[in-house]
Amino acid sequence: MSASHIGARITRNEDPALLRGRGLFVDDVRLPGMVGAAVLRSPHAHARINRIDARPARAAPGVLAVFTHADLGELGGPLPKLIPHPSLTYHKTQQPLASAVARYVGEPVAFVVAEDRYLAEDAIDLIAVDYTPLPVVERLEDAAAPGAPLVHVDMPSNVCAHYTQRVGHIERCFAGAAHRFRERLVIDRGTASPLEARGIVASWRPQTQQLEIWDSTQAPIPIRNGLAAMFGLPQASVRVIAPDVGGGFGCKVMMFYPEEILVPLAAQRLERPVKWIEDRREHFVATNQEREQIHEAEIAVDDDGRILGVRTTFLYDAGAYCPYGLIVPIVAGTTLPGPYRISHYHCEFRAIFTNKTPVSPYRGAGRPHGVFVMERLLDRAAGELGLDRAEIRRRNLIQPHEFPYDVGVIYQDNAPLQYDSGDYPRCLSRAADMIGYARWGARQQDYRAAGRYLGLGVACYVEGTGIGPYEGCRVTVEPSGKVFVATGVGTQGQGHMTTFAQIVAEVLRVAPRDVSVRTGDTAAFGWGTGTFASRAAVVAGTAVSLAAQAVREKTRLVAASLLEARPDEIELEHGQAFVRGAPARSLSLGDVAAASNPLRFAMPADWEGPGLEATRYFAPPRGTFSNGVHACIVEVDPETGMLRVRRYVVVHDCGRVLNPLILDGQIHGGVAQGLGGAMWEKLVYDAQGQPLATTLMDYLLPTSAEVPPLEVEHEETPTPLNPLGVKGAGEAGVIPVAAAVAQAVEDALQPFGVHITEMPLSPNRVRQLVAEARRSL
Amino acid sequence: MKLEGTNTLPAPVETVWKTINDPEALRRCTPGLKELKEVGPDTYQATLQIGVAAVKGTYAGTLAITDKRAPAHYKISLDGSGGAGFMKGEGIVDLEPHGDGTLLKWAGDIQIGGLIAGVGQRMLGGIGKMLIGQFFKCLEDYVGGGE
Repeated sequence: MSASHIGARITRNEDPALLRGRGLFVDDVRLPGMVGAAVLRSPHAHARINRIDARPARAAPGVLAVFTHADLGELGGPLPKLIPHPSLTYHKTQQPLASAVARYVGEPVAFVVAEDRYLAEDAIDLIAVDYTPLPVVERLEDAAAPGAPLVHVDMPSNVCAHYTQRVGHIERCFAGAAHRFRERLVIDRGTASPLEARGIVASWRPQTQQLEIWDSTQAPIPIRNGLAAMFGLPQASVRVIAPDVGGGFGCKVMMFYPEEILVPLAAQRLERPVKWIEDRREHFVATNQEREQIHEAEIAVDDDGRILGVRTTFLYDAGAYCPYGLIVPIVAGTTLPGPYRISHYHCEFRAIFTNKTPVSPYRGAGRPHGVFVMERLLDRAAGELGLDRAEIRRRNLIQPHEFPYDVGVIYQDNAPLQYDSGDYPRCLSRAADMIGYARWGARQQDYRAAGRYLGLGVACYVEGTGIGPYEGCRVTVEPSGKVFVATGVGTQGQGHMTTFAQIVAEVLRVAPRDVSVRTGDTAAFGWGTGTFASRAAVVAGTAVSLAAQAVREKTRLVAASLLEARPDEIELEHGQAFVRGAPARSLSLGDVAAASNPLRFAMPADWEGPGLEATRYFAPPRGTFSNGVHACIVEVDPETGMLRVRRYVVVHDCGRVLNPLILDGQIHGGVAQGLGGAMWEKLVYDAQGQPLATTLMDYLLPTSAEVPPLEVEHEETPTPLNPLGVKGAGEAGVIPVAAAVAQAVEDALQPFGVHITEMPLSPNRVRQLVAEARRSL
Repeated sequence: MKLEGTNTLPAPVETVWKTINDPEALRRCTPGLKELKEVGPDTYQATLQIGVAAVKGTYAGTLAITDKRAPAHYKISLDGSGGAGFMKGEGIVDLEPHGDGTLLKWAGDIQIGGLIAGVGQRMLGGIGKMLIGQFFKCLEDYVGGGE
């Protein structure tokens, strides 16, 4: 038996093409006769649209069509409402093109198709829209206040949902508690900023009535299904391909963005292929954003720092519409308890409409918020009680023997939240060792003596991953001996071509390089939901394994008849099927595959069909929960407000590791995004709802110069919820960064008494906090 | 964006008042003004071209003078839109004698939306001040040259 492919640190199958510039991104798709499109977007955060005069644009050179809402017919209605919830009283979605009212800067108002993109952009300028500006609600708290201007006038207020989850008896618990500490915690708005913005190419073949779409989506199959319904076509007549996608991070899992209807519609009406590529400035207003929440949170502890109860009441900024339902605030509220034993918990939120770009999940999707609130509360309690920060956490951690552990709330997949496995104390002590926690006090004093302000932060989290409903996979051994794998879960850089290949290679005993994986093409595999919520490895990965196992059994069956042995005597290794104990009696997998598809004579009934091929699905009963601890050392310059991360340590447990190299990459990218959100990334809006950070000059992303070398270690506590024992890892890196950085900055600035209750901490803001603290000293 | 300031002009209040109500003076002194067409008493159709950073915007709209209390006070409103978004401004102008000349006090509130707001916001305050400064410098020359 040769080495295991699962767990091998191998380089990625997809990289040779990508590194040579031979990837296929949507903008690389060039079809004969293809034309360009551009979108006219509202410059107002809230305005009535009185009249649109598109005549000059329609008459402009090269213009093929100008669409306004009036031109959309039945497709002009509100976009699909995803993930309804009983508490979501007003599930508002936008129209592909606004008809009467625009509710955020960037909302599409008209759509121009011309011979090329330049001409389309020129024509956009010729469209005259008569707007009457309406009162704008920009700030979350203003929008929630009684009497606020309404984003949707058919609602009594801007509150679209009010939802409460309770565990135990919170009032009784707080009434009897020895200590109670309250915090107001604010997390600001940010955006995922994938390297590739969105893009769509659509092509309609009138002769065959087939619609083909290349879309930088994380969910090609739901897009296919939705388009088929909207355009009145059989699902088989619509093909959606998500080719190489340059990062998604959640913002490309919308189902639907307006352009995902406008581009196919234009292609069908004009009978020409149409391309629309979002530019970066559009991306800052037209692609969903996230993160804005304001928590009023309180913790009750006993004299030893044991948590008695936690409650939070928070506002969630939905933006102008809430297509994605309540996923983000529900994930925030259910992530908050984290790895701690909390008997009494009360979580209540109101989801609020504002005149800003709509919100849908962005990597973490509420998890960073929950962790930020919980960890800030623990830091406060530790400070007030004079307890060590790591010690207060240690005292409250759920212990390894307590799994499965019921948290007592309902998770985002509508199932009771139950942690399946983990070793939380071990992760904490390992992270503390790595960062040198025990010696930190003395080192910090040395720095301070030298006039330097360094602080240490340590934060714990639990990450919900791998939720259902299901994913599937088809595995086929080709007559060449190569293996072809198709699944519905697309990739935006996560390395599915490699990890899924490793899973198949493990079962069929071939080299991972000989396994080619096709994802994100509805013509290759048509069932599935999409890539989100750190679920691909868990849900699709298990389906891949099950399909490969079925192919292995079929291979044994066919090989046994060819080699005159019993199926249970057939073994697979190095791409060969052979009789156990007689390796000379062997056939290549390719020969078995060829034999499994006979051209003449009878085919054995027990083969149940031709080919070494099988399709399998996996539907997990509930999500599986990864966990980890981040620790960092941050230096603060109190004069400039600049933060420098000196060290960053991650101890992470996502069960069985499929490929440590890819996993490290996931963690690295996540931490970088987390640092961006903790230190710079802030979508600033003025009081009139005008976005003021719509370039990468104004919205600062971390670069390799700011992200320190990361020290990452993995624990492996397998989950019992799937046969591979894997848990998700896609969001782990980003989740506790804000909490860890906040604690480190507070620790660094302890001589000034600065208290951190918000994210991000820009240099301006840090300077301001230091100045305020100095004044009150 | 709120801006305010004062300027001293070398002419009596009555002359300055006449000048700031004179379409020819407005036409000559408003920076970036491409067209100013009187469409009613104190109401004009205006086309303005303003560049901020790499973005040049042409705005078509109306300019109106209201709340007139001759020769000391009026309100000027500007409302325009174009490919680069929209602009909407209101300014109060007050005149009072100052020695031989006139002290002109102005306060304005300008809203800009769309492309220029998103791309050029870091420069808007400075550019607004610069444009208004150009306007009054020109008026100064105008009343000076009119004598």
